[in-house]
Amino acid sequence: MDKVMSNKKMIALYVLPSLLLILAVVYIPIVLTGYYGLNEWNGIGSMKFVGLDNYQRLLKDSVFWDSAKHSLLLAVFSLISLIVYLAIAMVLAAKLRGANLFRKIYLIPMLLSSVAIAQLWLKIYHPTSGIMNTLLESLGVDNPPAWLAEPSLVLFALFIPILWQYAGFYILIYYAALKNIPTSLEEAAKIDGATSIQIAYKIKLPLVMEVLKVTVVLAVVGSLKYFDLIYVMTNGGPNGASEVMASYMYRTAFKSYDFGYGSAIGFALLIICLVATWVIRKLTETKDTIQYS
Amino acid sequence: MFKKWTVLLLTLCLVLVAAGCGSKNENEENNGGAAEAGAKVTVNFMHLWPEGVSAGQNKIVNQIINEYQKEHTNVTIKQEVLDNEQYKNKLKVLSASNQLPDVGVTWAAGFLQPYVDGKLFAPVDDLLGGELKDKFVAGTTEAYNIGGSTYALPLEFNIAPVYYNKAIFEKYNLKAPTTYAEFQNVVKTLVDNGVAPIALGNKDRWTGSLWYMYLAERFAGQETVAKAIKGEESFKNADLTKAATEVQKLVDDKAFVKGFNGLSNEEAKSEFLNGNAAMYLMGTWELPNFTTNEDIPKEFRDSVGFFKFPAVDGGKGNANSWVGGPGVGLFVSENSKVKDEAKKFVEYFVSKWGEQSVTGAGVIPATKVDTSKLQLPQLYIDLFNEMNQASSITLFADVQMKANAAETHLNMIQALFGKAATPEKFADEHDAAIKKGS
Amino acid sequence: MSVGQMDAGAMSPKAAFAQKIGYAILYIVLIAVAVLQLFPLVWLLLFSLKNNQEVFNLPPFAIPTHPRWENYQKVWEAGNIDVYFLNSVWITVVSTLLTVVLASLVTYAITRMKWKLSSLVLGLFMVAMMIPVHSTLIPLFSMFNDVNLTDKPASLILTYVAFNMPITIMILLGFYYALPKEVEEAAVIDGCSVNRMFFRIVFPMTSSVIATTAIINMIYNWNEFIFVNTFISSDKFKTLTVGVQNFIGQYTTDWGAIGATLMISILPILITFLFLSDRIVEGIAAGSVKG
Repeated sequence: MDKVMSNKKMIALYVLPSLLLILAVVYIPIVLTGYYGLNEWNGIGSMKFVGLDNYQRLLKDSVFWDSAKHSLLLAVFSLISLIVYLAIAMVLAAKLRGANLFRKIYLIPMLLSSVAIAQLWLKIYHPTSGIMNTLLESLGVDNPPAWLAEPSLVLFALFIPILWQYAGFYILIYYAALKNIPTSLEEAAKIDGATSIQIAYKIKLPLVMEVLKVTVVLAVVGSLKYFDLIYVMTNGGPNGASEVMASYMYRTAFKSYDFGYGSAIGFALLIICLVATWVIRKLTETKDTIQYS
Repeated sequence: MFKKWTVLLLTLCLVLVAAGCGSKNENEENNGGAAEAGAKVTVNFMHLWPEGVSAGQNKIVNQIINEYQKEHTNVTIKQEVLDNEQYKNKLKVLSASNQLPDVGVTWAAGFLQPYVDGKLFAPVDDLLGGELKDKFVAGTTEAYNIGGSTYALPLEFNIAPVYYNKAIFEKYNLKAPTTYAEFQNVVKTLVDNGVAPIALGNKDRWTGSLWYMYLAERFAGQETVAKAIKGEESFKNADLTKAATEVQKLVDDKAFVKGFNGLSNEEAKSEFLNGNAAMYLMGTWELPNFTTNEDIPKEFRDSVGFFKFPAVDGGKGNANSWVGGPGVGLFVSENSKVKDEAKKFVEYFVSKWGEQSVTGAGVIPATKVDTSKLQLPQLYIDLFNEMNQASSITLFADVQMKANAAETHLNMIQALFGKAATPEKFADEHDAAIKKGS
Repeated sequence: MSVGQMDAGAMSPKAAFAQKIGYAILYIVLIAVAVLQLFPLVWLLLFSLKNNQEVFNLPPFAIPTHPRWENYQKVWEAGNIDVYFLNSVWITVVSTLLTVVLASLVTYAITRMKWKLSSLVLGLFMVAMMIPVHSTLIPLFSMFNDVNLTDKPASLILTYVAFNMPITIMILLGFYYALPKEVEEAAVIDGCSVNRMFFRIVFPMTSSVIATTAIINMIYNWNEFIFVNTFISSDKFKTLTVGVQNFIGQYTTDWGAIGATLMISILPILITFLFLSDRIVEGIAAGSVKG
């Protein structure tokens, strides 16, 4: 077994094409971003090497730290919502009548592009004619807030569509993982008199553990570099109340023409993601993994 | 079966690469022989008037290109169309790799600066001396002048009046204000009657900047504003501070629509168009919506009037001074292989654009147009007249400032309107950003 | 006789009643959520039948008195949409296939084969998903420009495959770890080669996760527009997302037409999704080679 499975030629054949592609298309930009970050550059003229100046500026830049805080907050909310997605996936994967149809319907919103989702939620949050406020007014709420204009509310108002946008993605992965569990296991447990809660907790959860760990990393990294809806719906405003790291990076590089500093922000974002991933890996490390058998 | 798939995929990759090499040769043929007179030449032209939404402009662009190609049979103009936001991004990426199109669209002053500093745009002074001499409206080409040379030729010229809904004004017995006190009274009356006075979409920030710029001009006078933006005068100047304070007073008086800091200009505009808000301060580019756009009810279009931003009692500015400026202009890339051809095309384009753009797209061009010969809606004629009487034009602040300072200005505008910054902080941040330069 | 029936039979009538109520509540919730999840599509359809005035003035779910089908006509006539459409289809298909196959090979090598550098290589793939897209635009453009790939579909495909590869590997990883090793062990003893084992045994066994990653890749590639705009300048290579741009002007935007474009562009992936989504369920059944 070992001899076949450590055939160097096969490993190279399987891994190298993808690895080379990644190195060329992703790593060269990563290295260059790191390099630009050490320069003062407006993206047009010549670069001026300034060493770690941009990073020193970053450490003192309250806008950056606020945006980092917002991104981290989004990561926390994404993690919490993973539990909800898992629960939904469990229900959908159960032998319910119509589960198949429900699953398809539940995943439809994830097909929509960010442009469409942003427009939909702008209509929901519109301060005077939006669905949300019309509803609140009909319930007797006097002068409901302008969701996207209120610095204290805007971030949470944005989290809802973001989490909703990604719900399909995670439900889909969990669903596939749950469906991958051989039905024989569940049936055997039922014969032994296990309740469905026990089955979910004792059998299904451990078996999808590896998938769960992966989605935790995906949710955190995805949240930390999140950009789309925030940029379209509030542009990071008002007054930076909904600025996240990626939108701040974009604004600095492409609007303020400060490509050097923008690159430093981009690189810092990468490092924060890296640290977060490392922490998650450490926290979720287990000695052996459980397989279906 | 799976082997077949792999083979298929690999073949696909190879075909792709081969296709890549194939079309590369084509391009080189096109650009290579530019130097020889009469040889085939391709001029790449990047602009932001897509057929779908800017049908008028797009049609004119195509007409001009067709005519030009007919007159110069060896020249092909290749267009690339992007929307505003994507256009700006792409321009940035292209310039970082020194791959700008031969001809493209640019904005004035602050936007232009880095491209000029980086020697990416070619001076077009020679064109100003030729066929186009004296064709431009005074003050338009100056905005594209950096260090004594002009780097682009303007196509549009816009000023920003306050549009108002005559029907709403009549209903509450209001007149277009001529003094600031009257304006305040209009705001008060409308608020008392539960009508939102002013549509403002300050998510886009430059929209709020218009209000601040007018107040700054009216309180401090055009020269002081210009000096402050150049860094020769502090924003802590008493009159400028008054302007910032006045902005917050308007916010307190509920002069702007609810949630304005979270609304886009597009959303705010609809509040005005559907009669929910009574006034709207915006550039003359909106005129087609108030005159010829059939999608908007005629009843509404007929009830739109405009007034000049009123003078402030004891202020140093006057009502004939406008905030505005040239919109987009055309540049020629300094590193273009077909620079001469590109310049000829720009000259031709600008000379044809003027008249056609007023009648065909409702654009107020930067070149002089004899309006008496044209059939134009009254609103246009009135505004043309106002323009001729203008005492001065204050360039849009975000256009005027360098990119970095402009970002700070826009952020501070949103903070000022949102009362997240005091007028003092507003002034401090401006001074700091302008001093730092870009 | 199913296990479920046996359980119910053993239950007291009270418990059975409670269970029924529980199911009823569950279904009510499920149906309510399903309706909510369908709203966006309905909204988009209505949106695409309005003009700007109606988009902003009417409540989002109001049915326009005069549905503007001409928005669709406008979109079709605005030129090139057929070209964009075909480009979207083939670029999405090629990129998705390449990503899923390549990522499966890598995941297999990382989880199943024994070599020293495997965790380092996995780390390299994971770091690759942490860079913000906008940071890569300028370096990527100049790189593609140097090798003459700008304005070629190849630049898009390479980028899509490379940028979606890490996330695809990550998802596959969770599934591969849980796959039983016995089947392969048996196969090796029978003298099966690695290739044969991967393509004949492992690949089919993972068909449900492959369908999952294919759906995800497909959605990402289909909706992508930043790279298209940056790398592609010729109309003949642009994709459907560019069609949306056709209706965003400098000062105004034609929302109805954008809605129509979005509606047109969602149909193909909706259909593909419904098809692929069934593959997920078949996953383990089709892959079970035990017995």
